[in-house]
Amino acid sequence: MSFTRLLIRRHRATLSAWLLVLTGLCGGTVSSYQNTYATEQQRRTAVALAQEDRVSTLLYGRLPDPGNAAQMFTWELGAILSILTAVMAVLVTVAVTRAAEDDGTIELVRGCGVAHRRPLHSALALLTGVALVLGVGCGAAVGLGGGHVEGVTWAGAIVFGATTAATFLVVSALTAVLAQVAATAGQARMLGLTAVGASFAVRAFGDAGQLDALSRLSPLGLRAAAEPFSADRWWAVGLAVLAGVALAALAQLLSDRREFGAGLVRRRDSRDSRLRLRTPVGLATRIGRSSLLAWTVAVAAVGALLSSMGAGTVRQSQTGDLGGFLGSQLGTGDPAAAYLAYCNTVVGILVCAYAVLSVLAAQHNERGGLTDLVLAVGVRRWAPLAAQTLVTAAGCAVILVVTGTLSALIAPMVIDGNQVAVRAFSYAVGQWPAAVATAGCATLLTGVSARLAGLAWVPFAASTLFALLGNLLGIPHRIQDLGFLRHVPDVAGPNPRAEALLVLVALGLVLSFLGAVATTRRDIATD
Amino acid sequence: MTEYAVRVEGLVKRFGTFTAVDEFALNVSPGSVHGFLGPNGAGKSTTIRVLLGLYRPTAGRVRVLGLDPATHAAAVTKRISYVPGEVTLWPNLTGQEVLDALAGLRGSRNVAAEKRLVDEFALDTRRRVRTYSKGNRQKVALVAAFAAPTDLLVLDEPTSGLDPLMEELFQGCVRDAAAAGRTVLLSSHVLGEVEAVCDAVTIIKDGRLVEAGRLADMRYLAASTITARPLSGEVEAVSERLRGLGVAVETDADTVRLSVPRPLVPAALGVLVEATADDITCTPAKLEDLFLRHYVVGAR
Repeated sequence: MSFTRLLIRRHRATLSAWLLVLTGLCGGTVSSYQNTYATEQQRRTAVALAQEDRVSTLLYGRLPDPGNAAQMFTWELGAILSILTAVMAVLVTVAVTRAAEDDGTIELVRGCGVAHRRPLHSALALLTGVALVLGVGCGAAVGLGGGHVEGVTWAGAIVFGATTAATFLVVSALTAVLAQVAATAGQARMLGLTAVGASFAVRAFGDAGQLDALSRLSPLGLRAAAEPFSADRWWAVGLAVLAGVALAALAQLLSDRREFGAGLVRRRDSRDSRLRLRTPVGLATRIGRSSLLAWTVAVAAVGALLSSMGAGTVRQSQTGDLGGFLGSQLGTGDPAAAYLAYCNTVVGILVCAYAVLSVLAAQHNERGGLTDLVLAVGVRRWAPLAAQTLVTAAGCAVILVVTGTLSALIAPMVIDGNQVAVRAFSYAVGQWPAAVATAGCATLLTGVSARLAGLAWVPFAASTLFALLGNLLGIPHRIQDLGFLRHVPDVAGPNPRAEALLVLVALGLVLSFLGAVATTRRDIATD
Repeated sequence: MTEYAVRVEGLVKRFGTFTAVDEFALNVSPGSVHGFLGPNGAGKSTTIRVLLGLYRPTAGRVRVLGLDPATHAAAVTKRISYVPGEVTLWPNLTGQEVLDALAGLRGSRNVAAEKRLVDEFALDTRRRVRTYSKGNRQKVALVAAFAAPTDLLVLDEPTSGLDPLMEELFQGCVRDAAAAGRTVLLSSHVLGEVEAVCDAVTIIKDGRLVEAGRLADMRYLAASTITARPLSGEVEAVSERLRGLGVAVETDADTVRLSVPRPLVPAALGVLVEATADDITCTPAKLEDLFLRHYVVGAR
């Protein structure tokens, strides 16, 4: 078996899940763009507004003329797709490069007569293959799903697919470079995601400031440079591929100059510190501390950025109708409240992702043998999982309070409206029940079986889908309401109702309790 | 009769259709050092995990320090020190922080003993766990185990990553623990180590008990090996007389080699001395001889 095939075999579940979600997202949404704007007049108004609006420009880039359904799709959904693609590229690249080195599997393979450059070459080959499958999948999904959608052509669909593939390729190659620099896999992942954040910021400010050159420097600006369904610029895709190849070559160069298992950056591995803790909660807090800090900074930054960009949208929904993705998000009611609710839904999604990851750490510890150690010093069987859930819930609260406070300070300066600060804070903190319910699902699954714990992403994905695309996809409201997100009432509006939030918290508590009880009725899991 | 520190009767543990442990029994006397032997995959670690309450037995009666670990796991493990076969620690913590965490969770600690053991094992506790080798991770677990004020030590192949000097230190620690009245259950493949420190052993194979008892008794029952060189021309005659005692004899040119049960050793030696044979050697049974025959297994 070649090393490349070994990598595919090892990561096939994760890769298939990502590919399925991303192609499904393209194929499932493209046709809804035909129906979103019923009349030509409505569409023109929306296009004019979207082209003028600063926040839409920051979020999605600039909408090219004439703004037909295909261009709308590329502009809005394409922006979401390119971010997801970039995140996928970072996670997959680290998993097949540094993570495999840190866990010792590459060492084993290198000891079997595999040439020292082979692991990196195989990883790059795998990533190229994934990029191709992703590109073909997204292109075909758009081409097939959008047969009757105005402006969708096969030539454009192919460029759209190629753009997605090239975005994946560039971010992967960049992450491969960072993986040579970082001291550990975790650090490489962090650097890669920071790079994606920076790419988004560069693109956003380039587009907002009409600095095309700047926005095209960003891997996330490729979609705007290639303009599928408008200009179909193949050379832009070609340049991106060349950049990817150059970065891959750089990764190779750096890889030759570093020690196996260590990055170019050294880390301090010695310190005089003591740990004063007596409970599993104390331990879980200490172990999760650095990741909580990183999440708090990232979520607060995203939340503050979104809130600060709201002025245009709010004014726009006060004057005319705002269609498409953003329009479907905002709905009716007080424009400022609607916008803040939308921003904080995004915050809620991020916090729920943190909740799932954080609870799943319990499962990770169990399979890795750390829970054995803890239980063997007299800790009760249910305590490690319960502690992890408690620390997760508290961590979510910390992230949301910090995000809410920051938004409450920034939003009133840019958004006109009543009680903007109160609303900004309450919409952020109001995401906590959704996070608790998500954590509860993860706790129950982990409690029932460490092997099933990964299914905790299912309720998360469903809630996210309902919240972001529910209206666009025409999912009935009574089903959308089953999602954990978008239940936060407008506290400054007439008679705010918080029943849904109480239900979510109660659900989280009950599921967590059941999960903790379930652990006591099963064997500890080992890999 | 004294109460056993560990008493297992008729233990069965199944995972789906696979029976890892089948009608197994284990008795460990308090204050003893008990060796737990068996080939890889025989069910040693599974049994140990049942003793710690990490696995629930499918059937059988298990008592550890007088309690049932399936229902009183925390109460049992408060009084146990455990060193797993594969030591995983939190990679971001330093060795010292891991010791702090484990002692803090246990709620009892012997700081002086811990300091002494850290020095003896030459462990740099300021370094992060991620930089530790397997041996160093094992040292952290061993320091935590020996330093904790517990009654029973459950050690699952604890020395597989240690160098010979540390191995010797480890044996000293086990003897000290036993001298202090603590009980030790030692799962190990290192027969020399078992021979050096254990009073009694239990052998498991394919999940079943094959042999258990005090080492001295087992050795007594096992055959010693005697070799000698009778005067030339007398090899056949001497062999005949030895066979008369009921002993199996192999001859090889001018040498005789015989396997003799302990009670017959004086008589066999008498025959050889009487025949004025040269180069008489008598080797008592080694643990290898006792155990290795149990190690031949098929994959499972």
